[in-house]
Parts: sequence; C-alpha cells; structure tokens
Amino acid sequence: METHFHAQLEKMRVKVLEMSAYAQKAIEDACRALLTRDSDLAQKVIDGDIIINKLECEIDDMTLRLLALDQPMAVDLRAIVGMMRVSVNLERVGDEAVNIAEKAMFLATRPPLPFSEQLQELSDIALDMFRAAITAFREGDPDLSREICSWDSQCNAQDVKVIKDLVNYMGKEAPAVERAVSTILTSRSLERIGDLSTNIGEAVVFIVEGVSIKHRLCR
Amino acid sequence: MKMYSKSLNFYYGDFQALHDVNLEFQKNQVTALIGPSGCGKSTFLRCLNRMNDLIPISRVEGDIMLEGMNIYDAKVDVVELRRRVGMVFQKPNPFPKTIFENVAYGLRVNGVKDKTYLEDKVEESLKHAALWEEVKDRLHSSALGLSGGQQQRLCIARALAVEPEILLMDEPASALDPIATQKIEELIHILKRKYTIIIVTHSMQQAARVSDVTAFFYMGRLIEVGDTEKMFTRPSNKQTEDYITGRFG
Repeated sequence: METHFHAQLEKMRVKVLEMSAYAQKAIEDACRALLTRDSDLAQKVIDGDIIINKLECEIDDMTLRLLALDQPMAVDLRAIVGMMRVSVNLERVGDEAVNIAEKAMFLATRPPLPFSEQLQELSDIALDMFRAAITAFREGDPDLSREICSWDSQCNAQDVKVIKDLVNYMGKEAPAVERAVSTILTSRSLERIGDLSTNIGEAVVFIVEGVSIKHRLCR
Repeated sequence: MKMYSKSLNFYYGDFQALHDVNLEFQKNQVTALIGPSGCGKSTFLRCLNRMNDLIPISRVEGDIMLEGMNIYDAKVDVVELRRRVGMVFQKPNPFPKTIFENVAYGLRVNGVKDKTYLEDKVEESLKHAALWEEVKDRLHSSALGLSGGQQQRLCIARALAVEPEILLMDEPASALDPIATQKIEELIHILKRKYTIIIVTHSMQQAARVSDVTAFFYMGRLIEVGDTEKMFTRPSNKQTEDYITGRFG
C-alpha cells in the first residue's frame, strides 16, 4: 500500500540522489581542474557548492518534517536517519571538492610539480569509492557498501605515499614548498573523500540491515 | 517469569480467534500487545484473567500459568484470580458513587470494614495512580464529575486498591486527550516498578514509549515478540515490519 508518507520518503530519496549527483560532478570537475590546471573549471566547482549546501538544508527540513509528523518506525525510521547521514557526508564531499578546487586555482598559476600521476591514482581511488557508495545507496546494496569500506586502506596508503614523497621533495626543492604544501592538502582532501564515501556505505548498511558498522565495530 | 501462556487456543463458537499462542511475561516489565483490529490481542488479554469466561460460547484450550498455577484449573477461585490480575478498560468506567467509594469498592467486596485501613488504602491507591493531589479535597464528591483522564486514573486506583500483581490494560488511553494520555503513560512507567503490566494498544508510538517488550499478533497468531527497541527499529519478521511501518493493517 503506497501511503502519503511513503511517497514523501521516496521524494527524500530522490533528493539525496540529486545531491549525490551534484557532489559527484563537483569532485570529478575539481580533480580534472587540478590535473589539467584549469582555473575556470575550478572556479565553477567553487561557485556550484551553494547548490549542494541548499540541497542539504532541504533534506534537513524533510527529515524533521517526516520525523515529527509521521513518527516512522523500523525500516522507514532507519531510511530517514540513514539518508540524513548520507546528506551530511555529501555536503562534506562538496566542501572537499571546493578545497581541491581552491588549491587547483593556486597551483595552476605556478610551475607544475612532478606528482600528477600519483595524484591521478589517488583521485581515481577516491572517485571509485564515491561512485560505488552512491550506487550502493541507490540500489540498497549492503555487500557493495562493505566492499567500499575495505577499499579505504588502499586510499589511505596512497595518500601517505603522496605526502611522504612530497615531504622528501620539499627537502630537496626549497622554492617548491608552497606548491608542495598545497598538493599535500589536496591529497588529504582526496583521502577525506574516501572516508566520507565509507561513511555513506556504513549508512547504507544501517538502512538495509539495521546494524551499525561504524568505526570498524561489528563489521 | 510471572506469567505465560502455553499452546493457547481460543474459540468463539466455531471461530478460532487464537492459534497456539506461547507468550511469556516477565515480572516488573511492561508488555505491549499490538496488531490490526481483529488480530486477537484483546481476546488474548481477556484470557489472562478469564474475562472471556463471561462469553457463553467461548472455549479455551492450552494453559495460562501464573506463578506455577494454571489459571484455568477447575479449583481456581476466579474472583481471587481477578484480584491478582486486575484490569483497566478502554473507556473509563467509574461507578456512580463517590471517588472514595469507587476506590474502596473492591476492598469492601472483599470484606474489609476497618475505616482507618480503608482510608489509608484509598489514599495510597490514589497516590499510586497519580490522582491524589487532584482529588484529595473532594474525595466524597461524585466520581462522574471528574474529567475523562481523571476517571481513567481513578479506575487504575480502583484496580490497585486490591493489591494486584498484574495489571491488564485494554487501550487505556484511547478515549483520552494527549495530556491525559501522557499522564497515563508516565503512570505506567512508575507502576511497573511494583506491578507486571500487559497493555493492548492501537498506537504504535504508545507501545514504543511505554513498553519493554512488544508482541505482534496477526490473524489470531503471535507473529513476533521481542524487546520493544528491536521490534520498532529492526523487527525480524516481514509481517511485523509491514504492519508497524503502515504498509498494511
């Protein structure tokens, strides 16, 4: 039986998917702007963040309304709480995309550093994790969600490698310090996107199975 | 365990209203019975103090044990059973007597005549039912002058006066406004320290708020029973989930 409440819940799900599409575009564009030294594209990412923020506010409103007016239970309650968690993480993904875009704008005005391949590798991992997290949410797939969590160590390892190499590079190339620091911060943002994708995967497991796998508890 | 039913079947003539119900009630816990209309939850509740005996065509099979005693045993004194297992109904049903006499009624029926004892017991029961402060200055006024919420708490006080061990509540707040409902729910939280409570409710939110354990009935069968928190966040059974999320019923 399709009730008014369930129609509202579906609207909320569609809104979260819409937000995830904007967040995905923001990371993709931010990474492209970084790797191709495209300041205009970076600026678009920064300007576009307001849409993601607005969607988060709309989802917050829907969450409060559904909780207060319909007092949902069981899978419906988990769906609302889970979607709220997903939207919080999507908003942070948007913020990380802005951070990457800001660094991309700065780096585009300076001579390039020889780290684009390593950054490309890290951004591929982070983007794969994010896309998989959204697929898991869309399909309600807890197995894929758990898989994403297991990729996080790969993402962290690549981030550590990039940072170590950049620190060594700074030791040898003093004039590159400012660019290297910006690149380190970019690497950290990509690693954070991996973490946030993991959080989304955890929220999907909570929605579908009602169990918490946060902080590597009961995974 | 305070009370349990074992392989309980119940019939209204040819119609079987309960099928093989096995359900345990722990001491000092609140158990909520939920399910759609006609699922058998009220029938089951009324089996617990043999209120269904009053329906001539009804028949019971199986056992209900109250601390080792089968309440359907031929030797059981039904009046004494109903003293031990008290009941509060959906609609407040005070007697057309004073507030004092309503609460004292069960004691008088049981032969209590000592005036001081009666006064103490009435005061204690009204305090337990969270009504004393509101009525202490008009104990000898008619109970029918009380509000609906006060009348329901008076009925609870009347049930408590005879010192029951178990309190059965059949939708005790369904005829009350939200404030009176909240008072009854708060009272249930307090009463469970002393009594074992079994409540039938159509309000899922009420079951979630007041009970420790929830049992879901459907078409005369007990479908699922478990800790209330689990039942309302991640029930094991698909039918339970569909019911509590409003997908049927």
